[in-house]
Amino acid sequence: MKTEAIKELLYKMADDLLIIGHRNSEWTGLGPILEEDIAFSSMAQDKIGQSQALFQLLHELGEQEPDTVAFMRNANQFHNAQFLELPNGDYDFSLMRHFLYDVADQLRFEMLANSSYEPLAKVARKVKGELKYHVFHANTWITKLGAATEESHVRMQTALNDSWNYALGLFEEGPFEKQLAEEGIFEGEAALQKRWLETITPVLDKATLTIPAASTWEPKLGGRNCFHTEHLQPLVEEMSEVFRVDPSAEW
Amino acid sequence: MIKSLDPRITRENISENNTIDPLTPMDNWETYEVFHQKKRGDQHMHVGIVHAPNPEMALLFGKDQYGRRGITANIWVVKTANVFCTEYEDQDMFETTPEKQYREAGGYKVMDKINKYKKAQKA
Amino acid sequence: MYGNAYIDPNEKANGILAGEDPIKLKEFENRIARGEKIEPKDWMPKEYRKQLIRMIEQHAHSEIIGALPEGTWITRAPGFRRKMALMAKVQDEVGHAQLLYSAAETLGKSREDMTNDLIIGKSKYSNVFNYPAFTWADACIIAWLIDAGAIINQVANAKGSYGPYCRALDRICTEESFHLKYGHDNVVTLATGTPIQRKMVQEALTRWWPPIMHFFGPSDKISQHSEILMRWKVKMASNDDMRQQFLNMYVPKIWDLGLVLPDPNLKLNEETKKWDYTEPDWDEFKRVINGGGPCNAERLAVRRMAEERGRWVRKALLNKSEQYVTPLA
Ligand SMILES: [Fe+2]
Ligand SMILES: [Fe+2]
Repeated sequence: MKTEAIKELLYKMADDLLIIGHRNSEWTGLGPILEEDIAFSSMAQDKIGQSQALFQLLHELGEQEPDTVAFMRNANQFHNAQFLELPNGDYDFSLMRHFLYDVADQLRFEMLANSSYEPLAKVARKVKGELKYHVFHANTWITKLGAATEESHVRMQTALNDSWNYALGLFEEGPFEKQLAEEGIFEGEAALQKRWLETITPVLDKATLTIPAASTWEPKLGGRNCFHTEHLQPLVEEMSEVFRVDPSAEW
Repeated sequence: MIKSLDPRITRENISENNTIDPLTPMDNWETYEVFHQKKRGDQHMHVGIVHAPNPEMALLFGKDQYGRRGITANIWVVKTANVFCTEYEDQDMFETTPEKQYREAGGYKVMDKINKYKKAQKA
Repeated sequence: MYGNAYIDPNEKANGILAGEDPIKLKEFENRIARGEKIEPKDWMPKEYRKQLIRMIEQHAHSEIIGALPEGTWITRAPGFRRKMALMAKVQDEVGHAQLLYSAAETLGKSREDMTNDLIIGKSKYSNVFNYPAFTWADACIIAWLIDAGAIINQVANAKGSYGPYCRALDRICTEESFHLKYGHDNVVTLATGTPIQRKMVQEALTRWWPPIMHFFGPSDKISQHSEILMRWKVKMASNDDMRQQFLNMYVPKIWDLGLVLPDPNLKLNEETKKWDYTEPDWDEFKRVINGGGPCNAERLAVRRMAEERGRWVRKALLNKSEQYVTPLA
């Protein structure tokens, strides 16, 4: 039972990282300026690497090899939040998603650094520096672009509005919330969401951006239970295209 | 519309004959000179430039362009416009410096005198 | 045509030095002859500046355009290790473009002007990137053999006379050694893998061999102009010498894997100690470099798209009070 709970936690985190890392990697070579292209690629690489580390933990808990699990499932077997599978859109949306997700990711790993499940706590401590940089990058871009010109402000506000309900879907609760908290493994999605709101609010203020009114909040749920938008299946097919050329081969 | 081998490109729906306005001056922002310190105790070394619109982003970019491999302790960025330099054509100002032996440890050789003195004492 | 000095065989050499101060020219040439580097604000002949800008700019374009054929496979790279490595490799190529544009900027041409010349098709870039990467194996062949060719060229140019270009190339060459190993590892995995994988890599090699033979450009015509550029250490090795060096280093490695090269005449000539090969189709080379290749139009259209999509980002953060200052080094 406890293992099931840990697996559920690991799967959603690993899938989140895999899918956002994959989406962000699509910008490689096509970014808004050379220097940012390089920076964004580094962070996408980090995400994929973190995802791999979590699939490795799953493997140690009896799941298949990381490559097999990550690259050979169908969309209806993925546990990522729907937010992360949405197409990149323009750089405004990509940056806003990067900001909203990476803050949540950083806080989640921060909470897990003291988890009673030591293998995960170890990963969390290891990625601390990477995440610090990701959030520094995201905060800088969001505050600068939010408050720069009329055009950039409108674009970033629109991106925030479009992202918001999807971002709330990051904190969709699972069946093991209580148990994970009691065992000291993970404090829970509600606690994470609270911290997340407290963390992003001052940054968005500084960026002169406004969080949509609470009355309009309707979290896009389902991702954690493998319900996805039409965008995920083509993504996973693309991801596995080469593998499928010869599934028996080592690539 | 371009049907590319790269699915990322196909999704963009671009025409082969797309045209855009030329980039205007400063489109890529100003430049910062980047200085990289490998480990504490080392000097910062000039490693190149980044184009950036402000110092914070120059640091972000400097980190990834010049610090994404190996080890790094610290990075500085300085706006190119704020760096003052000597001219290479004035390199002759430095020409006689290596000859100024009176300011070098190697310019002082006492052993000859000491040995000569000792020899004379013995005799 | 990677970072290779382009010499117009029709240009008359005596015009090149016209109007140059003979004393300064002598000092400049003596400095190069002593093995010293030229730095950005040094006096330099107009032709030296012109050829260097052209060469470094083309090299930079080759890096950013070169990110596209391999980028084709970024979303499809098989497995964690391959995916992260390919991302890192393509990221490096973007980084190389950044370093090379920076070096060219020190000679007085802005990055915006270079980009503009690229996207309207005025500037050239390495011809090989006008060919498509049909399969994953094509991306592997590129990473191994095109990067191998680039390294030969870049190692030679790193001993050239212009300080900022040499410094950029030193940094680039370190990263290229990862590209080469990465590419080789990929090709070896396919060549020693399943029959499907072997077939895939053989087909990719067959496709890429003609562009690879084109890579260093046609034999140089000996001219006064090319002699001057050699003396100025702008052009560091002849195209044929670099091609021979490449064949020497890589043909045996390719044959080791039991792969077949589509040239029945390719062999090491025991007398000359040089490689004999079927003369590459230089008409095809010219056709492609002048825009007629399978991917020329797409490559430039993609760069225009990327520049345009990023424009609002750059514009928003533009500091109107700033003036452009030529970077130092
Ligand atoms: Fe490169
Ligand atoms: Fe390379």
